[in-house]
Formats: sequence, structure tokens, C-alpha cells
Amino acid sequence: MSAEEPTTNGAKPGERTAIGISFGNSNSSIAWTTPEDKAEVIANEDGDRQIPSILSYVDGEEYNGQQAKQQLVRNSKNTVAYFRDYLGQDFKSIDPTHSHASAHPQEHNGTIAFTIQDKEEGEPSTVSVSEIATRHFSRLAKSASDFLGKKVTSAVLTTPTNFSEKQKAALIKSANDAGIEVLQLIQEPVSALLAYDARPESKVADKIVVVADLGGTRSDVAVIASRGGMYTILATAHDYEFAGVHLDKVLQDHFAKEFIKWNGIDPRENARSLAKLKLESEATKRALSIGTNANFSVESLAEGIDFTSTINRLRYETIARKVFDGFNRLIEGVVKKADLDVLDIDEVILSGGSSHTPKIASNMSAIFPPTTTVLAPSTTPAAISPSELQARGAALQASLIQEYEAEDIDQSTHPAVTTVKHLTHAIGVLSITGDSAKGVFTPIIAAETAVPARRTIHIATPKEGGDVLVKIVEGGSHIKVTKTEPKPKENGNKDDDSDEDSSDEEPEEQREKVWKVGNVLAEAAIKDVKKGGKVEVMINVAADLSVTVTAREVGGKGGVRGNLAAP
Amino acid sequence: MTTHTQVSLPLPVLPEGWSGEKDFKAIGHVSKSTQRSIEPVGPHFLAHARRARHKRTFSEDDR
Ligand SMILES: Nc1ncnc2c1ncn2[C@@H]1O[C@H](COP(=O)(O)OP(=O)(O)OP(=O)(O)O)[C@@H](O)[C@H]1O
Ligand SMILES: [Mg+2]
Repeated sequence: MSAEEPTTNGAKPGERTAIGISFGNSNSSIAWTTPEDKAEVIANEDGDRQIPSILSYVDGEEYNGQQAKQQLVRNSKNTVAYFRDYLGQDFKSIDPTHSHASAHPQEHNGTIAFTIQDKEEGEPSTVSVSEIATRHFSRLAKSASDFLGKKVTSAVLTTPTNFSEKQKAALIKSANDAGIEVLQLIQEPVSALLAYDARPESKVADKIVVVADLGGTRSDVAVIASRGGMYTILATAHDYEFAGVHLDKVLQDHFAKEFIKWNGIDPRENARSLAKLKLESEATKRALSIGTNANFSVESLAEGIDFTSTINRLRYETIARKVFDGFNRLIEGVVKKADLDVLDIDEVILSGGSSHTPKIASNMSAIFPPTTTVLAPSTTPAAISPSELQARGAALQASLIQEYEAEDIDQSTHPAVTTVKHLTHAIGVLSITGDSAKGVFTPIIAAETAVPARRTIHIATPKEGGDVLVKIVEGGSHIKVTKTEPKPKENGNKDDDSDEDSSDEEPEEQREKVWKVGNVLAEAAIKDVKKGGKVEVMINVAADLSVTVTAREVGGKGGVRGNLAAP
Repeated sequence: MTTHTQVSLPLPVLPEGWSGEKDFKAIGHVSKSTQRSIEPVGPHFLAHARRARHKRTFSEDDR
């Protein structure tokens, strides 16, 4: 898991109380798995399930979460925010942009620290980012312990896919110092996918999933091959220019301009006014995810002047278009990076707080074909809240492994177990279409499946039954583009003023995924199949890529079995 | 996995004169593969890790 030997807190397997924690730059969430195996996010003492990752000190008292966030207006100097990504980094490599309006990160003894007045009296202290994270973890663990009625000992934490070993080690240390044994670090998009796959109504399927995690200060996207419930990340992309705060910024500028128009004062030029503007813009943005209209209202926004306004969703979507386009480009880009086409994507999971935005979900429905399921609150009523996915997945993983010895967990997550061969071509069987003798490829095991793997299908036979051929082949898919000339309008009304649609003479493109039959692997004969009978074909690919094929009539005896040597 | 994909397009009729030892003919082998990492997450991975560590096959695992 990490180079660093985890310091245990003495919790023994079987006696652990384990939770899932997602710790973001903007928000954190804690979750547990109920005795009914359902993952649930825990509300803290303020009733929040999304707990701002912020600490603030007032007269020596520590505030966390939403209460600390409010301190960004009056007490920004003693408030530490947006620090997760500083863990395990050199001062030179961090981007301090988001800490401008709170305690500033500084270089200190080769690490990063903040100078804050965290005690009632005396000089301000210089507190390392590691210690800040530890304090934050302590608060999260306490909230969870209070809810569960017993002390939390252990946790599974989620990390971005581009976290370095140093960052992971620093994260583990901060949690350990808060008395939390880290059972495992799991990748954020994988955690989100697990949260969906663990629902009782989900079926294990072979599918390609895009997880778009749109957060506050960063957007991370991953393409994941999900094969029989096992996950392989095919490509990832990260972006820091288009995220939640950039949507806030659009609204800040919008309302600032309106305020200037009425009052001739720019609220962005005064730190306190700007902090108020920011907080309320974020609240307005969230309200626009639910309603088609939202208020913006701040008491004494600048120079004692109150300000109230409204905005509708359409206007917001128009002025925020650049940011939305940025999300689209990021997501389309990572599909290409994985060498795939939008037609290859079975599922898009929208994760992260910004994914509540209806426009983002509708953009996904426009980019991806109708065969792609977009899992977001506005497109799928049964969707899980995007803000809860990571913590829920971590809680599920925690419940799966909490009774294992730390050593066993380490062994199972070792590259010797996790690095395996993956098929580059699908393996399938040829069948025929109703009217021609041409073979049609049906995949049995998909490409990007990790081996060993085993799959079974049931396939029809000709109406009369009889002797049939099972031809096992490799197949590759590609995208076939057919250009169709625009159809002339049915009634041919030439003088209609239809400038907008039909008169631009661009040929329409029809894109479809087609299979190309490759290498033939084996043939088998199944004889005397009864009328209406079906044939079961099982393919088992071993770790060395040797193949065992079994085929028999469903319900019949015996059958055919053969082996193919490893390449 | 206990669910089987159902394919409705039928298998072709066995060509006249086809023959194979015990009705099976090995012709090729899997052409290519890549090394990738599977994520050590979820119940199916745990089953995989268990098989890998005890060097068990799927069918041994089924019993
Ligand atoms: N209902 C909502 N509608 C629109 N945006 C929302 C909604 N709820 C939260 N957000 C936004 O989501 C962002 C926070 O997302 P999330 O909680 O996933 O962040 P994170 O992972 O902690 O952040 P970071 O990307 O900074 O690490 C904020 O910009 C917040 O305003
Ligand atoms: Mg995040």
C-alpha cells in the first residue's frame, strides 16, 4: 500500500469499527455499512453529510466544516481551507490559488505549513499541513464515532488517481496520527463505481464506464473496464481550470457587475465583500440545480449596502457555457485517450458535487449515444447522490476487508496479485443471420478482460436443430461511418423558409459499432441438437492465456471439451 | 457468475464432411495481451485474490 509502515492503533481484526472516508479539497464525507450491507453517509453534529474540509480558530476554539466555512468572511486569516492536495508535496509544486482568501500555505522545514492563531493567547502557531489534516481527520472520526456509538478505529480512504506515493504516505500518516488505522487507499472513481455496483438491483456485467468526478477545485475523469465485477482503469485525465469554483466565479462576476451597475462599487475589491459574494454565489449555484430560478441575497455586501437579485437557470447555463464546454472536452478527451469511441461507453457515472448540475448531465446525454446510461440525479431518478458516491464505496470496501489481517490486505493489493494479463481482443462465437450464410460475431469474453476469466453464453440453433458448428474466433470492433445524403423533405416544399435545418446540405453521419472477425481459435461440433434446442458455450482463459472451450446442448449430456495452448 | 447471456441468432449448420477429434478442432491461440492493473476493490476482486493466492481455478472455487 505504501512504503511507510502503518502505525496501528492496536485494533484487531474482528474488533475494528471501520468506516469509509472521502476527503476532498472542498468537502469530506464519512460513511458506514449498515448490518443490511447498505452503505450510508453519516451526518455530522451540524447535520451535514458534505462536511467542508475547513478548520477555523476563534479565541482558541476549533471549528470544522460548515461552521468553519462561515469564518471565511470574518476570520479568514485563522481559517485553513483547500489543503488536501498540499499533503506530501513540495512547496514549489503546489498551486496555492484557492488559499488566497484564507490562511496562506508557506514553506516550513521542508514541508508546507500555515501560521494561525489557534490558541486563545500567545503567539500564532505554525502548523504543518500534516497536522491540519490530522485535526480534520480527528473531527471526522469523532462525528462518526458519535453517530455509531462506538469508537471508530479504522477506515478506507479514497485518493485521486494521480496521487503520488509520497502523497499517499502523507495521507496515511495524517490519518494514523488521528488514531485511524488506514485499512486501504482506494481510487476515487473506482469507489464511485463500487457504490453503484453494490446496489442490490445492480447486475454484474461487462461494461465500459466513464466516471466523471467534478469537484470544487478539480475535475478528474476515468475510463474503467468493468469485467465480471473487476475493475481496470484504462485512462484518466485531470483538470484544474474547469471545476465547481469556476462556476461560482461566473456567478460572482455576474452579480458583481449588477451591483456595480446599481451602486458603482465593485464588491470584488474588498476581501470581506468578496468572501460574501463567493459564499452566496455558491449557494445560488446549488439552488439552480434544483429550481429553475434562484435568489442571490447578501446583507451589507459592500459599504453597508444590502443586495438582492435573482437569476434563472437558462441565463446561468448561458453565462457558464465556457465551463460546461470545458467539462465536455475533458470527458470526450479521456474517451479518446483510452482509444475508445463514445459508442463503446455503456455507462457514465457523474460523481462529485458539481455533478448535481442538470446541464452537465444533459450535455452527457447529448455527447453519448442513447445506449449509454447517464447516472446523474437529473437523468436517472434512482441515481445515488454524486456527493456521496466516494464515501459510500469506501465504506463498502471497509466492510469487505475489516476482518482481514493488515498483512493479508497488503498481500492482496500487491502488484504480484493485481498486475495481470488482459485480453486485447474479444473472444466470441460465430452465428448466422436469418437470411444469409454470413457469420456474425457475438462476443463471449470482452476485450480488456483480466485473466483468468470465465464466461458462458447460451446460443440458439437452427429451427430444426440437428448438427451445428461452434466456431470460436477473436473479434475486434471498430466504428463504421456511413454518410447519408440529407433526405429531401417529404412534401418537397421548396419555398418553405426552412433555412435552419434542412437547407444546410451537409451529409448526415451514421456511426455504428461493427465487429470484424479475426483469428480463428477453434471449432467444435454439437450433434443431434433437438428442435428448438440451445447450446451452452463456456470459455475459460487461464492466467497464461491457454483456453478451455466447453460446449454442449443445454440440458443435454456430455458435450465437447477442448484446449488451446498458451501462445 | 450464474447469469448467461442469451444469444438469439442461431449457430450455423455443421458443414458436410467436417471432422475433428472428439468433435473438437484446435486451430489457433489467443493472439495478444497487455499487462494492466486490476483495482484491488470489491467482492469480485477479493474472490480473484483468494484464487490467485491459493492457486485455485474457477471450478475448484465453485465447489
Ligand atoms: N447541488 C449542487 N449543485 C451544483 N454544485 C454543487 C452542488 N452541491 C455541491 N456543489 C459543488 O460541488 C463542489 C464540491 O464538490 P465535492 O464535494 O465533490 O468536492 P471535493 O472533491 O471536496 O473538491 P475538490 O475538487 O476541491 O477536491 C463545490 O464547487 C460545490 O459548490
Ligand atoms: Mg473530489
